[in-house]
Amino acid sequence: MIDFVYSNAEREMATFGFDAVTRSHCRMCHGGCGTLVYTKNGKVAKIAGDPECPIAHGTLCSKGLASAELAYHPDRLTHPVKRIGPKGSGKWQQISWDEALDLIAEKMLGYKERFGAESVVFGYGTGRENEAAIYRMANLFGTPNGLTAGHLCYGPRISTGIITCGSNPVVDYENDPQCVMVWGNNLVIANSDEYKGESLSNCLDKGAKLIVVDPRLTRLAARADIWLQLRPGTDAALALGMLGVIIDEELYDKEFVAEFVHGWEPFVARVRGYPLDRVAAITGLAGDDIAAAARLFATAKPAGIQWGVAIEQQINCADNNRLLMALMGITGNIDKPGGQVLFRTPRIRNVGKFGAHDMLSQEQEAKRLGGERFRLAGNFGIINPKCVWDAIVSEQPYPVKMLFFISSNPIMTRANAAAVVEALNRVEFMAVADFFITPTAELADVVLPAATWLEMDYIGDFWKRHGYILPRRKVVQIGECRSDHDMLNDLAHRIGQGEFWWDDFEQGLDYILEPMGITWQQFKQMHYVRGEVEYEKHKQRGFSTPTRKFELYSTRLEKWGYDPLPSYREPTESPISTPELFKDYPYILVTGARSPGFFHTENFQVGALRETQPDPLLEIHPETAAKHGIADGQWVVIESPRGKVRQRAKLFGGILPGVVGAQHAWWYPEMKESGHGWAESNINVLTEDAYESCDPAMGANSVRTLLCKIYRDPDQRSPGEREKTR
Amino acid sequence: MSGLALIVDHEACWGCMACEVACKKENRVEPGLKFIRVSDQAVHLRHGKPYFSYQVDACRHSECAGTPCVAVCPTDAISVRADGVVVMDMDDCVACDLCPPACPYDAIVFNARLGVTQKCNMCHGRIDAGLIPACADNICLAHCIYFGDPAQIRESIEAKRRVRDRC
Repeated sequence: MIDFVYSNAEREMATFGFDAVTRSHCRMCHGGCGTLVYTKNGKVAKIAGDPECPIAHGTLCSKGLASAELAYHPDRLTHPVKRIGPKGSGKWQQISWDEALDLIAEKMLGYKERFGAESVVFGYGTGRENEAAIYRMANLFGTPNGLTAGHLCYGPRISTGIITCGSNPVVDYENDPQCVMVWGNNLVIANSDEYKGESLSNCLDKGAKLIVVDPRLTRLAARADIWLQLRPGTDAALALGMLGVIIDEELYDKEFVAEFVHGWEPFVARVRGYPLDRVAAITGLAGDDIAAAARLFATAKPAGIQWGVAIEQQINCADNNRLLMALMGITGNIDKPGGQVLFRTPRIRNVGKFGAHDMLSQEQEAKRLGGERFRLAGNFGIINPKCVWDAIVSEQPYPVKMLFFISSNPIMTRANAAAVVEALNRVEFMAVADFFITPTAELADVVLPAATWLEMDYIGDFWKRHGYILPRRKVVQIGECRSDHDMLNDLAHRIGQGEFWWDDFEQGLDYILEPMGITWQQFKQMHYVRGEVEYEKHKQRGFSTPTRKFELYSTRLEKWGYDPLPSYREPTESPISTPELFKDYPYILVTGARSPGFFHTENFQVGALRETQPDPLLEIHPETAAKHGIADGQWVVIESPRGKVRQRAKLFGGILPGVVGAQHAWWYPEMKESGHGWAESNINVLTEDAYESCDPAMGANSVRTLLCKIYRDPDQRSPGEREKTR
Repeated sequence: MSGLALIVDHEACWGCMACEVACKKENRVEPGLKFIRVSDQAVHLRHGKPYFSYQVDACRHSECAGTPCVAVCPTDAISVRADGVVVMDMDDCVACDLCPPACPYDAIVFNARLGVTQKCNMCHGRIDAGLIPACADNICLAHCIYFGDPAQIRESIEAKRRVRDRC
């Protein structure tokens, strides 16, 4: 009998007559999984996982498998274009790279001269491994304004991690945690940071206990030993309640607390303000269940918390992160094998160094938009988007004249879409780099064709905190597309930054790798490199914080004028804080449910992925749906005080009757007019961006805890059918 | 005869649908059609707690009791190979439409463009070349799609279940 072997590249080549197979590294989300890319006649013919990848071991998600369909999509932008009609007219003219980059350079230098470098804002969306290059250009140019998703995604984990314990603690899946508490995260679907779902899945297959905190019954929640279906936005209260149980029952690591914690007594006093009955009332959970989860987490050794973006898109963003770290810390799981580890990156010039943050003058740094208001964010180079929209529209505190967005579609992804659209319509000049003409790109002056991961050389997972870096090897060239790094490297020479960049971006990769004593060409021959793994580093050196301790009481936040201890704040829009509004908008709206085939605003035009889910879905409890006469699959209007959009009802008993769960980022590339239907289902038409609703330190928007009403749409046509009759 | 089977451990499935896309890419499946399909089950109570799981449907080949599609096919377009793989040969299909309703797993689809019915052929071309079917070739993050000897597969699934459920 034939010996069947997984991922048999040799036999694959022989059977299908492929010309070559290249080991590379996917970036259909923000990186992680090793791939084998087979080519034939100069084109990508098949993509599979790389069994030798230490992150995913050859498994690959639907997005990775469909990468070539995106890369070769007929609508793909493959050459630079400039707009020749009014914004949104869809009238474009093909131009050369030289003309495009010269135009961008001329605008940048012109605005810098007339309004200061700060009038030019660079932006990216979710990190696509281009962050460091974008920051490098912004910092060297002298603008302190990098508009990213960092205020409400990952940036909070990094910044609160650094002020609490020096870095971002990552679950050490490779050393078998005995209990994983998955908090507002769906790692098996959402391709989160660092490790991917396979590592968690393996660990559960080995028998690890599972606690899930989520307002929705995910499959992880269905498999959990304990599922805590909390009222959305009350995570901080729940964590405080669990900490109280752990402290009261003396389940904490006394040695760790005595030797390595800063601020234990005041922290305990703060936790005492949240007794279990109060926490139960806030969260809507049974006190016994909270206590059971706390005991399970505290007594399983080692244990980890799989955390993600859900806790960050709330008014309690920074404190949620700090409270989860408190749970990791006082249970003695920090930097333990199988616990929550502060991994080291290999000896390279890291993202901070490469990002040239030390090259921005203090004078320019002081001008960071919103830096005075959101001081935790400001100190980590992160800004709140409204600060930029306001500076465009009202020119306060100074005018913003130019935006340059790379891999970002803020019309779809930033709170209060109407304000975003107004700002993008008003801004004098906007450049965008992307794969397609997105709703955001429609309003640009110049659009640059960005390379997919199949078309670039890069150091994959450069910015992650699991300690691995993996070579992403260029496989094909498509049209005139260029990687984000390559186009910035070219632009740098046109704006007088040449001395800090390179003749060719490959030398930039050499520069990153240089401290390890290897070049890109040498790295390319390797599978991966991992930083030295060392546990319990604090026993030698303490933590990299001002007190050298694990700061439950944050001396940095205190210095910046914030409460040094974490607490719970009620969402600004909720049944409790706005009872009058609640009468008209009687449901809590959560907006975080992810679908496996999409990555935020991407892939809606990729047929094989769109088929996995053709329409946006709104999860409604069957009792709630019955009350409104809504049947499964019907188009439903979701309305908030800001506006209304429509998604299709999915009757789902796994959500509370008082909560509805929408999906974000949906647009319709197949609609050729009306901005590709950006307003049809875009949940950010409903979200708000008032500063008062943001985390006071981080500037994170409350995009997951708002109030809404729902009703069956009298117009049951699909968006495409509606467009036809417009 | 050494039987080959493709068996899914539904309990282990996370619903990521990578198998759907792997299949579509490998077999160039017509837009709108699927040879393998992931669906979620309605939420219900299990041991007093809300619960749901995923169901992955594709042709069960020789694991399907009586292989009714083979029985109803008037042209022998559907046949059972010696290794147990049930293959639908499009060239012999006359689009009589008898097999789709006969399939207990709703795993046979009609390709309107070509005017034929189609289904999972367990990537028999790959199997004959010594390659594992696309959906089972290590792409699944749950490692829940098995290919090979059915008795061994069942043993593996049961062993995994015992560890997972800690019994």
